[in-house]
Amino acid sequence: MALDRRRINGPEESFPPIFDSDALQWKVGDARKDRSPADIRPIFLQPGLISQANGSAYIETAKTKIACAVYGPRQSKNTAYSEMGRLNVEVKFTPFSCIRRRAPMRDAEDRSIAVAIHQALVSSVRLELLPKSTIDIFVTIIESDGLDGCVASGSVAASTALADAGIELLGLVTSCAASVVGKEIWLDPTEEEGRLSKGTLVLSCMPALKKVTSVWQTGEMKVAEALGCMDACQEKCTEIHSVVAQALLESAKI
Amino acid sequence: MADSALKASIFQRLHPRAYLERFVAESVRPDGRPFDAWRDVSVNVGSISTANGSALVRLGETTIVCGVKAEIAEPELDAPDQGFLVPNIDLPALCSPKFKPGPPSDEAQVLSDRLNEVLSSYQHITSENGLTTCSRTASSPLQMLKTPVSFSFGVFDATLLADPTAFEEPLLDTTISVVVDENGDLVSVVQLGPGVDTGAADTLSTCISSAKTRRVVLGGQIP
Repeated sequence: MALDRRRINGPEESFPPIFDSDALQWKVGDARKDRSPADIRPIFLQPGLISQANGSAYIETAKTKIACAVYGPRQSKNTAYSEMGRLNVEVKFTPFSCIRRRAPMRDAEDRSIAVAIHQALVSSVRLELLPKSTIDIFVTIIESDGLDGCVASGSVAASTALADAGIELLGLVTSCAASVVGKEIWLDPTEEEGRLSKGTLVLSCMPALKKVTSVWQTGEMKVAEALGCMDACQEKCTEIHSVVAQALLESAKI
Repeated sequence: MADSALKASIFQRLHPRAYLERFVAESVRPDGRPFDAWRDVSVNVGSISTANGSALVRLGETTIVCGVKAEIAEPELDAPDQGFLVPNIDLPALCSPKFKPGPPSDEAQVLSDRLNEVLSSYQHITSENGLTTCSRTASSPLQMLKTPVSFSFGVFDATLLADPTAFEEPLLDTTISVVVDENGDLVSVVQLGPGVDTGAADTLSTCISSAKTRRVVLGGQIP
């Protein structure tokens, strides 16, 4: 690999330590640790922490920590005229966000998460009111505990930040992940649980309008299981919606 | 927003220089600080579980998250008893409209380089003594020989401002940053821009003595 002169470089090769006790602690069929299958991790959501941005939000669900800022609507540069505004989502992992160190620009994982968040949000934003403009959403994953959880929490944070920026939305987007582990459906899986599961589904919806904005399913699951995941997620999304609304209300009062 | 507040914020956007000049004429800064006052600092350590060490520092409205990842690598042939320290500063597009997404900007590269200079070329961290411990339970922190802390100053219209904000920074004629360790010894001094006469004593010595005083005050916050 060519040396990146724009960064301070370490040795060409370095390896994370491997521990003897690294084996998975529990197997498929065992009951879920710490919480029941239908429970999600507690959400801490704080809008408006980044003073320079038009809107921002910080979300924490147990170990997952994500900061999100919205800049815009601002003039689209170097693009042809367009009736509709553009929604631009960029996701960045900090090098220390995962168990393995993330070297900058090594994989496309951050781009696939950006596409998932874009899909979750794009139908909720009234882009037809913003011709010639771009809304930039920057998401930084400070600590990750499960990629599906990052997509879900990232979408919630981005929607909160859009609302905090005063951009016209059809409704708040909330999002929830579910995994099929053995015969059960576990909501909001952690990294460790994600490795045990056969398949995962992330559902994003606008609970206020009872409309789904995106479904992102990976791995294998039966149709009935997929529908079960969607039902369970939708129920949780309604609960998350009141958390988001409450957080926005409190930040507006100050 | 009240009408007068709106007028003030429009004036600030359109004529930032005149805006700051009027504050300076009244011997106060836009955020209400006197010229020589510092912003509040808060330090929070170890909040990120995926990092081997982490810190979250807030300085006024500025927030910095730092994580350390430890990995095992073969040492260089000419320094078989030394490890590597790879500090990089990232200025993500998230934190200010000035920053663009993509590879590190010139500013980020310069800052990373200055950080690297302070941390490595002064041998602040003891080099590895042949023993690498890997344990899930016991943690053995790197031994720091010194704990350097950096302080920034700016000169605006022959007025010395301590700890300039993002609004003041682009308007400054000269910026000075002073890095001081826990004994009050100088580690690094960087001055960008012309040396300006700010009245009483020599500007640079004023900055250095002010940084030393502030280092003592901040001492308690650094674990």
